[in-house]
Amino acid sequence: MKKSIRHSGRLYQTFIYLGKLFRMFIFQNDWKVLPMSAIIAGLVSFVVGANVFVSQEGTLTGTFAMTCICIWNGFFNSIQVICRERPIVKREHRSGLHITSYIAAHMIYQAFLCICQTVITIMICVFAEVAFPSAGMVTPIALLDIAITIFLVTYCADMMALMVSAMVHSTTTAMTIMPFLLIFQLVFSGGFFSLPAPALKVANVTISKWGLTALCIQGNYNDLPMVSLWNSMVKMKNVDVGGEKPVYDALKYVEDSGKRDILLAESGKQNQNPAYNYDPENLKRCWKFLILLSLLYVFIAVTSLEAIDKDKR
Amino acid sequence: MPEASSNIFDYFNTVSWLLYSIGLMGIFKKCKVNPLWAWAPVAKEYKLGQCAYKEKEGRTYAKLSIAGYIFNFADNFVDHESSLYIVFLILYIAVGIGAIIYMVRITIGLCEVFKKKKSWAIMWFILQMPTALIWGYNKKFVPVKQVAVIQDGVKDSGINLDARDEGLTVNINSRTIIDLFKKKYLLKDIHLHIPKGHMVLLLGGSGAGKTTFLNAVTGYEKADAQILLDKQNIYKEYESLKYDVGFVPQQDLMRGNDTVYLTLHDAASLRLPSSVSYKDKKRRVNEVLEEFGLGAIRNSLVEKLSGGQRKRLSIAMEFISDPSLFILDEPDSGLDGVVARGLFEKLRSIADSGKIVVVITHTPDRVIDLFDDVVVLAKDSSRCGRLAYYGPIEDSYTFFNKKSMEDILLSVNQKEEGGEGLADEYVEKYAQLMTQEKEAG
Repeated sequence: MKKSIRHSGRLYQTFIYLGKLFRMFIFQNDWKVLPMSAIIAGLVSFVVGANVFVSQEGTLTGTFAMTCICIWNGFFNSIQVICRERPIVKREHRSGLHITSYIAAHMIYQAFLCICQTVITIMICVFAEVAFPSAGMVTPIALLDIAITIFLVTYCADMMALMVSAMVHSTTTAMTIMPFLLIFQLVFSGGFFSLPAPALKVANVTISKWGLTALCIQGNYNDLPMVSLWNSMVKMKNVDVGGEKPVYDALKYVEDSGKRDILLAESGKQNQNPAYNYDPENLKRCWKFLILLSLLYVFIAVTSLEAIDKDKR
Repeated sequence: MPEASSNIFDYFNTVSWLLYSIGLMGIFKKCKVNPLWAWAPVAKEYKLGQCAYKEKEGRTYAKLSIAGYIFNFADNFVDHESSLYIVFLILYIAVGIGAIIYMVRITIGLCEVFKKKKSWAIMWFILQMPTALIWGYNKKFVPVKQVAVIQDGVKDSGINLDARDEGLTVNINSRTIIDLFKKKYLLKDIHLHIPKGHMVLLLGGSGAGKTTFLNAVTGYEKADAQILLDKQNIYKEYESLKYDVGFVPQQDLMRGNDTVYLTLHDAASLRLPSSVSYKDKKRRVNEVLEEFGLGAIRNSLVEKLSGGQRKRLSIAMEFISDPSLFILDEPDSGLDGVVARGLFEKLRSIADSGKIVVVITHTPDRVIDLFDDVVVLAKDSSRCGRLAYYGPIEDSYTFFNKKSMEDILLSVNQKEEGGEGLADEYVEKYAQLMTQEKEAG
């Protein structure tokens, strides 16, 4: 009888695969996700950057766009990484590869990509003069808090795409599923589109909801002015009612008496959302959900990939 | 009034269903399928697929039908005002679309089998009941091929072999799968012993179960079997023995962006025991690189290699752990004669070093002098993979009364595949031979 011989353990295998992934980053086209994230962040900052963290409407639109950038980046980072080499993984699994090591290597590598993308996104936003909050909520630095949120949203989306990549058998299937997931995330974020009551429960499992909520909390959404009403009134200032212009008169009075900002702030108060309360605990809750969702996706990815030996030819 | 119209609708539906089933009975009869299946929900969808020579589509169509029946039944219990009903409807529509697509595929298949214009598929879609009746009972509608009747095949054959101290002992009683609620035999009664140092050719036609056999031997897909490698049970000690089995797949499954050296080094890291030091591992990698003639291209990217170089690297990846059992699935596919010959000579030298080498190839005659034995697998009349012969190459020519491996293959292949359809005869002949040998001691 042969003695039981120990082979390379999980930790060592993780490093082997990390090496492969970083070589792929350098020698293949994986590095291209970084300039791509810069371009997307630049475009979004250009369109919505001016009003983010300035007014409630601008914050909602801007943070929704930021969440979309993160989800888009995360999805594109890993949607094809496993399914494109599935037969290779099957061969290696039969030769002793631990699926947990393989996924762990991907988790670490994807975390590296997400950190790079977070830094790039924040830098682009800073260059585009987005008015980021000045006070930190969980850490002393506000920008670090924002970076953590952006990283967690990107990473969570990345892990979701990794899960899909581990479950499907071809890149075509993965790329077919991806738009559905993306639309689901966008529609069910819960903040940007009004959802019917039953759909609100579904929103709890979306990355977009927790990402959007976290960014709105950090932007102190509830204390921001609301400008929609004022803008509508400005558009109606020349409306003539019985030879008079009551809207114009009202606007003039408010402007002249210096009460415009007070009114805008009051308008904002009428539109507060308890979920966006400026409370560190609220923010931590969002982060916890994003971490939990990421772990769930990783668990499903490992479980489904463990059955890789059953793949047909 | 609405109740009366509903009753008429129900009555019409029932009559349509009856007439459609009667029409299917006629079609099934023409296609040599038991007509009674036309009255069995789910089975009739599958059988229609068989008639159209679209069995795979028929299977999916049957599964979608099951979903459809479940939805129809569940519809009685779902509140039509609830939000759940919308989800229910969406799923129902999705299943319905799938069923329509598969029905269209099957009816197009029927058009091909009955040699009718494909425009009939439209008739099947919009007027299913009258179309089924026309196809079932009009004498102008005759299928050009009928559903093959699967016979019982050869009864139990072969004898369990005793394990020997060295070599590979294979005792496969059966390898089965459940296919649409039915047990299907993929392999049956394969008993053989391959001594160390032998290079064995695995010969068999399409669907004879070559890959299933190899998967059963390596333990990748377990069968009702006992596989012993030097008296160690591969199934029971799979985790430790998997490193002692090298399986080289048909495709070159390697990452194109890695260099030859790194590919082999990573393979060594996975396959070699952790007790092997980094220095020894490096030395082993360099040794294998030289042995397989890859030293000069060690820093080349895998994607830049030629077909022959890639194949050698793929083999080297398995060879690095020095396995006792070496299995190769069509290693010469895509290689020219000279390169293929060189590759098989390398495999011969591996066998000569005391390993067991099992090779599947579709062009065996050009390198047959390098093999010791041949395993001939054949699909019997029940479409199950059976052992038609195992033994020395020279004896195989006498056994089959043929002059080449290709002729042997033709003799065991089914008639519809262009063969002689003698699989059952040879399976029985070989089983008798084995029994006689055992009785003779």
